[in-house]
Amino acid sequence: MHRHLLTRKNLLILGGLVVAMLLPLALSSNQYVMVLMTTVLIYAVLASAWNIIGGMAGQLDLAAAAYLGLGAFTTGTLLIRWNITPWVGMIAGGVIATAIALLIGFPLFGFKIKELWYALSSSAMVVVMQSIFMMWTAVGGATERYLPANGSPWYSLRFNSYTPYYYIMFVILVIVLWVNFRIRYSKLGYSLLALGEDEDAVEVLGVNSQSAKLKALLIYAFICGVVGGLYACIYSYIHPSFFDTNMSMEIAILGIVGGMGFIYGPALAAILMVSFREFLRANLGSEMAGLYLSVYAIILILIALFQPRGIAPLIERGIKKIRSYSEERRHGRAADLNPQ
Amino acid sequence: MQRKALQLFGIAVILAMVLGACAPAAPQAAKKQLPSEIVVGVVQPLTGDFAVFGKEGRIGAELAIQDINAAGGIKSMGGLKLKAAVEDAGNTPDTATLATQDMISKNHPVAILGEYISRFVMAASEVTDRNKVIMIADALVPQITQMGRQYLFRPGPTASDHGALAYHFVMDTAKANGVKINSIATLNEDSANGEANTLGATQAALQNKTTIVMSQEYPYNITDATQIVQKLKAANPDVVIHTPYFNDAIVFGKAFKEVGWYPMFIAGAGACGYVDPDSIKGLGDAAEGISMTYSYNPAKNTPQNKKFVAEYKAKYGVIPTEGAGMNYYDAMVLYEALEYSGTHYPDDPLNPDNLRASFLALDLKSGPAEEVYPSNEIKFTPTGDNQFPGVIVMQVQKGQPVVVYPPDQAEAKPIWPNPHYKGS
Repeated sequence: MHRHLLTRKNLLILGGLVVAMLLPLALSSNQYVMVLMTTVLIYAVLASAWNIIGGMAGQLDLAAAAYLGLGAFTTGTLLIRWNITPWVGMIAGGVIATAIALLIGFPLFGFKIKELWYALSSSAMVVVMQSIFMMWTAVGGATERYLPANGSPWYSLRFNSYTPYYYIMFVILVIVLWVNFRIRYSKLGYSLLALGEDEDAVEVLGVNSQSAKLKALLIYAFICGVVGGLYACIYSYIHPSFFDTNMSMEIAILGIVGGMGFIYGPALAAILMVSFREFLRANLGSEMAGLYLSVYAIILILIALFQPRGIAPLIERGIKKIRSYSEERRHGRAADLNPQ
Repeated sequence: MQRKALQLFGIAVILAMVLGACAPAAPQAAKKQLPSEIVVGVVQPLTGDFAVFGKEGRIGAELAIQDINAAGGIKSMGGLKLKAAVEDAGNTPDTATLATQDMISKNHPVAILGEYISRFVMAASEVTDRNKVIMIADALVPQITQMGRQYLFRPGPTASDHGALAYHFVMDTAKANGVKINSIATLNEDSANGEANTLGATQAALQNKTTIVMSQEYPYNITDATQIVQKLKAANPDVVIHTPYFNDAIVFGKAFKEVGWYPMFIAGAGACGYVDPDSIKGLGDAAEGISMTYSYNPAKNTPQNKKFVAEYKAKYGVIPTEGAGMNYYDAMVLYEALEYSGTHYPDDPLNPDNLRASFLALDLKSGPAEEVYPSNEIKFTPTGDNQFPGVIVMQVQKGQPVVVYPPDQAEAKPIWPNPHYKGS
């Protein structure tokens, strides 16, 4: 068992985990880096969740912010009205997001709405949610609601530093990646991947595509809802502007840029692209307003042109090359040793 | 597989904890010494939906800092000069938070100026309070100073002050013209600011027993307002009190023209929609006669204000906008607090708690900040609001924004009724 545990690949993962957990200790004096890494992790988790519905099931979902907002409002409202800890609120938020996803997903998939039409419907959902919460003054409304910070920091999830948020988000990311991994190599995962390629062919083979897609959507919605709860705590308020179509779009873009269906792709894309965007904003933002957005857009276009399948396949290819090279050398050496 | 993954994660946690325990303790902070210059952070939305006023605000803050330095810097600290560091706050709470934290980590400013969207003030002031950095905010929403923030100050007025003044201006002007106002309607974009303005106007109307015949909220990115104006026409109020942002002011201005119906008077409240130079350009004749409450008085007849207006005009060809004016007096209030801190806390004047105490001790009845501020006194309450908030009313007259109210500060008499009004 232990011999299997310490393979080279696992050691690599282990190293990554340790580095990620130690980073805050080295950097906690620089809160900016902590804020940045926490933000990156939020996007990494959302993009990894999107991977389940978008990357695997091939549904261009643009409703991430709808579920995120639902989670935020559930968590915020529970805390503001009844002083219920966001730990409970996060789960409740996830459940409510899942319930709404079920309500939306069931008819959508039932009527076989897909591709562009699915993208449009899901995007519309974000706008609808925003309007609803704008008018629903009992929990939403135009004035932002501020989360109170009474009780212990771990109860109300309000900290004086970003380090705890970083760790919480990091644990969530590990869990979400693990969920991705589990789904990818399960029956559901194989059905979803096949679905993404050719839905009709899969149906003929006897896979219930509606239920497979619905399962993927529910898992994705739950994760977004949980993250939404944390999102509200980090920014300390809730407001209907959380239902943001731009953010939904960005999450889908990260998923696509990362490599559809690759487990680590979206997280990697989030780490690279969000830090890069922030680097541009921090360094170009004051020089020429808007320049950083143009640069960011150009990079995205370049990726779409030259690496349309995303970053992950590129890395996969690199790893393969290195492996075949080292294998060649090993074989070569074996041949040398063999006196002929 | 599951067990293996769990084991891996467990090992990682233990390793991280062991390694973490070996890390050296953080070094003690060195004793404070005055820097070679004082950095003032300007964190404004320079891109996205809120960029128009963000850019204007940046110009105001930079001009103020330039003027302070030209006048000899902070005299109580040996003529120490100020330096502006600028950063784009973007369009979302995460960019506002990142920008604020980046500003603090990179530049170590004594104060940050400029946030004017209430929800970004909330996100950003969470950061400034944590880092003990003074934040001088421009958001008009009353609630931002009621959240227990220790280092947040708002020299400007609140949205309720704006709404109430818009109402009183209309009533006084109607009375002066021998007209009795029987009914009003309120309109606002659906932001916290829009609601708070309307609330201020509504409360004033209720106290004076004026009938409100219609109250309408609409999304700030509205593209067609003709239906709402049709509804207004049917309700037929004497006066419309409107809180627009920027684009929606243009949309409504055009809708009134298109429908061809005007109330006796259109009074804007709270945001600079109708009288911003860009909106006047966009609306042309349709802007004529519309008034707007303003958190800054470009016509205030004082040396400092005249200097600012002249500098701004020379550079940009128009009188300072509200965003520019507010940031100018924000920076001047900071200047006064720094002077006070240098005099009263000579050992460590830039210490955030000393600076905070200096803000709270200020009672400005003269000096550069008061000369640019629309009221005659600036004194902060313990929560960081100004006890003497100043608001004025501007009206578009012959394509130019002109101060018309209150009478003691006015440049010209208000035009009444709206020139497009056809009588009822």
